[in-house]
Amino acid sequence: MSSALRFEWVRLRTLRSTYWLIGLGLLLTAAIAFGVAFATRNDTVNAEDAGIIITGGAELAPFLAIFLAIIGIFATGHEYRHGTIQPTLTAIPQRSRLLLAKVIMVAVTAAVMAVISMAINIGLGSLYWGSGPDLAEAPLNEVIPGYVVFVVLYAVLGVALAQLFRGVPSALVILLVTPLIVETLIAGLSMWSALDFLQPALKFLPFSAGGRLIATTPYEADGGPEFDFFDRWASGGVFAAFVAIILAVAWYFFKKRDA
Amino acid sequence: MITAQQLHKRYGAKTAVDHLSFEVRPGMVTGFLGPNGAGKSTTMRLMLDLDNGGGETLFDGRKFGTIKHPMREIGAVLEAKAFHPTRTARNHLRMLAAGSGIPFSRADEVLDFVGLAEVKNKKPKSFSLGMAQRLGLAQALLGNPQTLILDEPANGLDPHGIHWLRDVLKSLAREGRTIFVSSHLLSEMSLMADQLVVIGRGHMIYNGDVDGFVRQFTQSSVLVRSPQAAQLAEALRRVDGATVTEVAQQPGTLQVSGIETAAVGELAFQHNVMLHELATQTASLEAAFMSATGDSEEYVAREILAPPGTATPPPGGPPAAPPVPPSQPGDTTPGGAA
Repeated sequence: MSSALRFEWVRLRTLRSTYWLIGLGLLLTAAIAFGVAFATRNDTVNAEDAGIIITGGAELAPFLAIFLAIIGIFATGHEYRHGTIQPTLTAIPQRSRLLLAKVIMVAVTAAVMAVISMAINIGLGSLYWGSGPDLAEAPLNEVIPGYVVFVVLYAVLGVALAQLFRGVPSALVILLVTPLIVETLIAGLSMWSALDFLQPALKFLPFSAGGRLIATTPYEADGGPEFDFFDRWASGGVFAAFVAIILAVAWYFFKKRDA
Repeated sequence: MITAQQLHKRYGAKTAVDHLSFEVRPGMVTGFLGPNGAGKSTTMRLMLDLDNGGGETLFDGRKFGTIKHPMREIGAVLEAKAFHPTRTARNHLRMLAAGSGIPFSRADEVLDFVGLAEVKNKKPKSFSLGMAQRLGLAQALLGNPQTLILDEPANGLDPHGIHWLRDVLKSLAREGRTIFVSSHLLSEMSLMADQLVVIGRGHMIYNGDVDGFVRQFTQSSVLVRSPQAAQLAEALRRVDGATVTEVAQQPGTLQVSGIETAAVGELAFQHNVMLHELATQTASLEAAFMSATGDSEEYVAREILAPPGTATPPPGGPPAAPPVPPSQPGDTTPGGAA
């Protein structure tokens, strides 16, 4: 297993896109954190603003999570796009070991980057925070670990999707289109009286449920569909289950299909 | 030693590899020959557990998937450009070295060996096919393996490169390594390989040494040129088993098969026929390959329909003789005039 992990580590760090994507993710989230911190510099920082600053606005646009998901997509998708799966499997023919190494390496990278991003964002926020919010109090004490889990799940989903589709483009489309269009569409449709039976199912929409991991306030319909999400960690569990199912299917086919 | 037993693979109704069994022995180069689409790559993928199929391949008694660091024992390259376009050649090899417990310094050694030291820090997206093949060979040699499996490694190499590859593979074989190398060109294999495994449409056509292949699949004929060709042709047609064809492009020239060169000379002497030329013609290795695999070509080009008004030659006419490269064994052997 250690050889497979070393292989993945060298694979990850010898790819320029790894640095671009991480750099861009950290920069964009830091820019949002700085912008919000600057804009609220004269106000008392509430938990909601602090959450946006700490996660770089991930509740609205999860840049770091998306970029790490793309790193995850490249971990498996590049193998097929560039035909490197053949040399890779002649070096490490144990497919489960290889895929596990990819999942672990991408997940660890995602976790470390989420922590670094939050440290940068908290640093930028503290420039204007005076006394500052208490990070050890709810909801921030849950948002901080929730953000790590959120980014890690996105990244692992990237690995799983590209392994399932054996390529980069399809995985990218699913990753971007599902939360932006499919889930928004289902939520929108559920507001029609003819389709309101969909509303109880909305808490199972994986990306929406995953978003609850970094929520600072309870869900409010506010003109949208009337339903309640599970609590933060159970909603995270819905997203995690979705990622686990995609990964399990991808794993099964990776073992079964020709390379 | 590689032992392949009953390898088979189907894609739906199509049989890609049909129960192939062969051995690849150490200390020699074994050529794996077949026309395009014959199933060579699929066979190699089956051997390396890349494809799922039937049968079993043992490397010194072990299956590929059970070997802890296979790159240290089996160097395999199936595709020429299997690398990320922006990861440098050196990093590509370092990545594979990391996965096989091979020190990074080995990447520089093999790149130096294959002549890519100068471009080791360049992005390989600009590599020519020949350079990619060299990187592939470097990859195969990374773990200093006892066994090499190479799919069409000479594709894209210039004549110097092919000569170099041939020398490298032969010297590696002399060190006692097991070399299994595929090609669709017999001329290439005849200069490189000691043993041949020849397949067509997934079926085994021949498994043995190169000379045996040539003997089995080549037919000799006799070329006679005489001012009294018609008279000689008549005499030859009376001989049992002899077939005489007049060479249309060369009046007075006969192509005779089914009879020894000496017998043709004797017959001419008995009939007072003057000969200007008498020569044994042995089909080239390429012709032998064509004869062995002719019916098993997967993709056969058809003639484009002739434009209106263009006369097409009648079917059944004499086929053009395959060209005989001068460097090939089995060239026309002058038999002297009788």
